[in-house]
Amino acid sequence: MSKRIGFVEPPAPIHIELDGEVVEAYEGESVAALLVLHRDGMSRRDRDGDARGLWCNMGTCSECFVRLLEHGRSRRVRACLLEATDGMRIATGSHTQDD
Amino acid sequence: MTDNAETSYDVLIVGGGPAGQAAALELAAVGARCAVIDEQARPGGQILRQPPVSFAAQNWVDENSYRPLRQQLRVFENQAAIAWLGRRSVIGLQPGPQGHSLTTSGADGLQELSAAHVLIAAGCYDMPYPAPGWTLPGAMGAGAMQTLLKAQGIVTGEPIVFAGTHPLMLLIAAQISRAGGKVAEVAFDRSLATIGKSMIRHCATALRNGSLLGEAGKAMMDLRRAGVPVRFGRPLQEITGADRVTGAVFGEADHPETTPCGSIGLCYGFLPQSDLPRQAGLSVRWSSPSGGWATCHDQWMQSSVEGVWVAGETTGVAGAPIARDEGRIAGLGIAAALGLITNRDATRRAAPFRQSRKAAMRFAAMLDDIAAPKQALDRVAASNTTICRCEKVSASAVRETLGSTTDVNAVKRITRCGMGLCQGRNCEHMLIRMSAAAEGRGLETMKGFTGRFPARPVSIADLLEKPLP
Repeated sequence: MSKRIGFVEPPAPIHIELDGEVVEAYEGESVAALLVLHRDGMSRRDRDGDARGLWCNMGTCSECFVRLLEHGRSRRVRACLLEATDGMRIATGSHTQDD
Repeated sequence: MTDNAETSYDVLIVGGGPAGQAAALELAAVGARCAVIDEQARPGGQILRQPPVSFAAQNWVDENSYRPLRQQLRVFENQAAIAWLGRRSVIGLQPGPQGHSLTTSGADGLQELSAAHVLIAAGCYDMPYPAPGWTLPGAMGAGAMQTLLKAQGIVTGEPIVFAGTHPLMLLIAAQISRAGGKVAEVAFDRSLATIGKSMIRHCATALRNGSLLGEAGKAMMDLRRAGVPVRFGRPLQEITGADRVTGAVFGEADHPETTPCGSIGLCYGFLPQSDLPRQAGLSVRWSSPSGGWATCHDQWMQSSVEGVWVAGETTGVAGAPIARDEGRIAGLGIAAALGLITNRDATRRAAPFRQSRKAAMRFAAMLDDIAAPKQALDRVAASNTTICRCEKVSASAVRETLGSTTDVNAVKRITRCGMGLCQGRNCEHMLIRMSAAAEGRGLETMKGFTGRFPARPVSIADLLEKPLP
């Protein structure tokens, strides 16, 4: 299991929705970090249904694309470059296959 | 640095790591108006990737070797004359009204910025090493594990295995272990005898760089104290697991040894970021021995295109101290080109940076020799592993196609290897190696994928949107 360690003292927690499940997060934390904590780093299933994970955590590999659901839109963004904000809604491709 | 809404500057700098910061500081000191653009919210680059402002971090990257870089970062953050444009990707570099223009992409869509000079200091990335099973959740670049720790305070699935050729994984494993993460094993692909031979070849350099080697030695000691085995001559055969990583298989095929783990960090070297230079038509060369494309430059770090400059790992992966020296040299070169200082002044002030760069280059060459990934890459080239993650193209499918053509752009069209969202950043280096081997050509003679706009993925909706006049 992944875990948080003590060298950072995060502020008061916020909440985001990850595939419909409410999870605790911290303002400014990356959504990729939340995928590591709550999904073992899984971001999607590929066209064969195989589980896929984020690779680089620095905006280069394009493996961590998730959908940011806001303003009545669904926008594909790299989770490693997306900072959590309170009430943010995220859909990963973990339950559906590539589109 | 200050947040800024201007769209025109004297100099635009792509990348807020050690090289970009160093250049910006030289330029700000002589009154140039410059902006630094970065995908991250805060400056630092990958080496000093900072936690969110709201996190209070203790003992953040407090190892000695980081000290000069931390000091530069502090000065950079306090220099009000530098505009900081974070949370933006640069997707295009083209001729513009003042000389050059950059297209950036962020949460608010696209933006055009223009300047007389552009410096690309875009850094490097973990070599995507296609071990069988590397697409499983929990398998990642060792650098990804390090940035998750440094910038997010997160340890990936325990226990952690590190496998690779590059000694940096010792430092990463020790950082994670000291932070309270459980490391199962650090496995070097090459034997200690082979590594020893590299050290002997560079023994004068090794002696001169005792403190850097000492850091690796300290990491080894810390790992030993924590009971973490560091093994040599232990090539990774396979990463196992169903929906996530559960083990790493080492040894020969007839007597495999499995180390159970919750995640694995792969560390076989680093490739220069080259999308933007290639999209803009800058001359590049194959970067041996790790691979990827290094951007060519003159003695002032100017690329083959006038007014476009490069510094740091974009010019070949050689480490942060060299990146900083190159950033300073480029900053002085640009200042002279802008007429803010004389050529004579630039030459005089650049001299000490050239000197320290030259000395550090010898150490970088030793590291390259120790970390050479060729054998490890040859092994996966002969396997059935997925080399193109996006389009899920196997090494065997590529081998089959190489029988009819060795042109990498043709192989791309036939197999879809390199046609996905990563734009070839993950697989191109493997395809080039396999193609060169099939044709019996030297890697330095190979041509890569045609570089195209956009240099980073962007939504079509953003591309179609235009600001009101």
